[in-house]
Formats: sequence, structure tokens, C-alpha cells
Amino acid sequence: MAGILKPFGEVLPMKTKKQVNFSQAHKKYIKRLKQEKILVVFLQIFILALLLGLWELLAHFEVIDPFFFSSPSRVIKCIASLIAGGEIWMHMGISLAETVIGFIVATLLGAIIAILLWWSERARKVSQPYLVILNSLPKIALGPMIIFWVGSGFSATVVMCVLICIVITIISLLNAFTSCDQDKILLMQSMHASKFQILRKLILPNAIPEFVSVLKINVGMSWVGTVMGEYISSSAGLGYLINYGKSMLNLDLVMASIILLSILAGGMYFLVNLFEKRKQQ
Amino acid sequence: MENFLQFNSVSYFYQTKDNEIQAVKDLTFSVNENQFASIVGPSGCGKTTILSLTAGLLTPSTGEILIGNEKVGKHDGKVGYMFQRDHLFEWRTIWQNITLGLEIQKKNKDPKKLARAEELLKKYDLYNFRNKKPRQLSGGMRQRVALIRTLMLEPQLLLLDEPFSALDFQTRLLVCDDVYDIIKREQKTALLVSHDISEALSMSDRIIVLSSRPACTKQVVDLSFEGKTPLLKREDKEFGRYFETIWRSLTNENQKTS
Repeated sequence: MAGILKPFGEVLPMKTKKQVNFSQAHKKYIKRLKQEKILVVFLQIFILALLLGLWELLAHFEVIDPFFFSSPSRVIKCIASLIAGGEIWMHMGISLAETVIGFIVATLLGAIIAILLWWSERARKVSQPYLVILNSLPKIALGPMIIFWVGSGFSATVVMCVLICIVITIISLLNAFTSCDQDKILLMQSMHASKFQILRKLILPNAIPEFVSVLKINVGMSWVGTVMGEYISSSAGLGYLINYGKSMLNLDLVMASIILLSILAGGMYFLVNLFEKRKQQ
Repeated sequence: MENFLQFNSVSYFYQTKDNEIQAVKDLTFSVNENQFASIVGPSGCGKTTILSLTAGLLTPSTGEILIGNEKVGKHDGKVGYMFQRDHLFEWRTIWQNITLGLEIQKKNKDPKKLARAEELLKKYDLYNFRNKKPRQLSGGMRQRVALIRTLMLEPQLLLLDEPFSALDFQTRLLVCDDVYDIIKREQKTALLVSHDISEALSMSDRIIVLSSRPACTKQVVDLSFEGKTPLLKREDKEFGRYFETIWRSLTNENQKTS
């Protein structure tokens, strides 16, 4: 080890041995870090409890109309009855299936298209105005057409989901592919790498951080697609339940569906985060 | 071998939308085998173009470039490139980085080559770090890994494009020594471009001074020092004299143009 340190006279950024004896100051520093972390978690829970409590109290004393604003206890009751009815699993399952299928199709298809556009500069130039317009077009405007093209319900929702995610996937990934350092490409070329090798050994691994952030964006976007798709036409799913609750003036049902929706979306985001941490290791 | 690398009245034009720019004009120089040569010139004079031409990544508009009496064509594996930054791939370990070239050329199963990789790592104090990621290494070590990565493909000629300019001064002096040592020990012919005269002086056996764009040879200075390493050469009494020669040669030009 000493031999390695010698010719450079600089401290290596890593330690091979873990330090055992800590100074008093270090212990204090660690303690402060821990305290800060506990405080943040506490505040997060506190705010949630405060909001729920305030909401419950205001509804209970009818400061706000519980019919329109619902209340935590009514939402819990509603969720309990939904679970007892059993149908809620079907609605959640359908929404989840639509989202996951849309998410996977959009991500894979978007990545493939981005690779093809990276490969051919001409295709990239030709497609640019189309991508720009597709990106700025509110995809929900295509809703009625989608129903006629693929039928209402499950498939229409998946298509909506894909449409919403795919354009941003293509644009972000293509951007990541083309912004790869030119010198790195030159390096690969000087080793006589083929274009396919440059893609596989440089462009793709280099774009992994961007890919992960696309995944994170797509979690949110695919749920937008699903709920929008279900609003437009569906007979099942959480978006359908929200719409149904609205038309029946059952706002407890609307609130309950929203809560379940956020649990599912949060869970999906959590999985992507887990994937990212795995990748980092 | 005399005149291992030869530029015979090489010219190169860049095409842009508005005009044609001549980057290199009638450039003639040569480098002997196992010699360390440097190209110095005013910034923007086309030094990097010269390296790209030598690497076969660009084709001369007129004239020819010979390496070991063979004309440089596209993709013929004679040169290794070192850049301003080390360009190690962060997602690969040190070992995977230095065997990148072997992998590309599908030689990564060749036990001889792998043994060579191990030998180089051991020789240059990197063996213990073979499973680390580049970000866990210091700047100087990273540059050494980059050099070994280049050496793995056994280039006949090494091209160094200001390979130390991204390092801080102290590291730079030390890495300079280090890289010089490796190149000499592996008996490689090297061509460095730099706008740092003292760096070029401390490393080279021959210095080629270029004019501003379009680049042509202004002066070729063969150096001989008593000192053996770049650091010792900097202390050599001849160093200052050479520095002045080259500085004059460079600044004459600048005065003319301004």
C-alpha cells in the first residue's frame, strides 16, 4: 500500500481499513446526524397526523361539509366496506395491470426507438419535428380516437398510458445517448470498436442513470395515463371508481379511491427506487 | 528504426458550411522508433488534427503518413490514444477497463493477453485495485490505468493528447514522471501534443514546433539531457536554454500574426 501512495503524494479517496477509534468530536457528529434523521421522520409523521386530525375535527364539527369533504373516518369506513365487498381487489388489479403493462411497453418501445434514432442520424433529423409536436400535444385529446381504434376499456387505457409515457422516454433517452462524450467514442473507435460495440459497451451503460430517471418519471406518467384512460371509457379500475363516485355524489368513494391509488403509485415508485439502489451497487 | 513515423507533406482541409479551412499545410516531420516526440504550437493550430490523422481517424487531403514504412489506412490498429481526461468507464472495474480493448477485439479469452494485463497491473502498482471502480482511485492512478488500457492493445505508436492537462500541477509533475517511465520501460514510440513547453521539454527526445494554422513545421529540436526523468530534466542546466529556443520560435510567429 505504501508503495502506491508514495509516487503521488496525495491521499487516496478510500480507506482499506475501517477506522475503529473515533474521537469525541466524531461521535458528536454522528449523534447529530442521527438526531437530524429522527427529527425529519418525526416531522413527516407529525404533519400527516396533524392534517388528518384537523380534517377529522373540522368535518366532525361540520366546519367543512363532510358530504363534500369527506373525513378520515368516513374514508376508512369506505375502504373497509370496499374490502368487505371484495370487488375493490378487481378494480385495483385492473388499474395496476393497465399501468404496469403501459409502463413496460412504453419504456421498452421508447428505448428501442431511441436506439434506432441514435443509430441513424438521418432518421433523427427527420423525426425531430414529429417528436416535438407529439411531445407538446396533450395526449388526452387523442382519447376519443383511441376508443374507436382499439375499443374501450382495458386496451384503450393501456394505449393512453403508452402514448403519455413513450414520447418523453424517447426524447430523454435519445438525449442521453447523443450527449455521450465524443472523446469516449473516439477512444472506442481507436480500439476498432464496431458501431454495435460502441452502443453496447459505451452508449447504453453510459445512459443508465438517465434510464433510471426515465423510469421514475414514467411511474408517475403511467398512472396519469391509466386514470385518464379510465375516465374516458372504462367499466373497472380506480379511475372508473373515482368517476363513478363523482356521478353518484359519493365523495367518500372518490377519496378512498384516491388513497388506494396513491398507495399503489407509491409502491411502484418504491420498487423503481429499489432497482436504482441495486444498480448503484 | 530511423523515421518510424513519417509525415510527408501532409495537408488537411476541414469542410464547414461557410468555407474550407486548411488545418494542416505541407507538414513534414519524422519520429524515430522508441523516441518520445512532442508537438508544440500556438493553441488552435491543429495539433489534435495531427493526432487524428496519425490515428487514421482522418485521411489526409494530400500527402501521406507512414508508420514503420506502411501507409496509415483506416482501422489498422497501430496506434493507441491517450486523451486529456482518462475516460475510464465508471461502470466497469479497473480490470474490466483495461481489458476493454481485448473485449472489443474478441481477444479477452486469450490467456497470454490476460497474463499480460495482470503483469502490467502488478508492475505498476495497480493489482490490488483491479476490482475497484475508477471513482475510488486518485487522478494520477486513473491516468495510469488509462495508459495501461492503451498499452494492452500493443500499439506501435502512442498518441498523447495533452494527457495531463486535467490534473493539478503537483499531480501533473508526478504523473508525468510516471507515464514517461512506463512508456520508456515498455519501449514505445510516443507522440505528445501539448501547449506546455516545459512539459514537452521534460518528456521528449525531439520537439516539433508548429506554426499557427494552417500548421506546418517551423523547427525541429532534438534534445539531449543529462537528467533521465522528466523531473530531473527540469533541473538540467540545458533546460532553460532549450526553453528559450522553443519560446522564441513560437513567439516570433505570434508577433508576426498580431
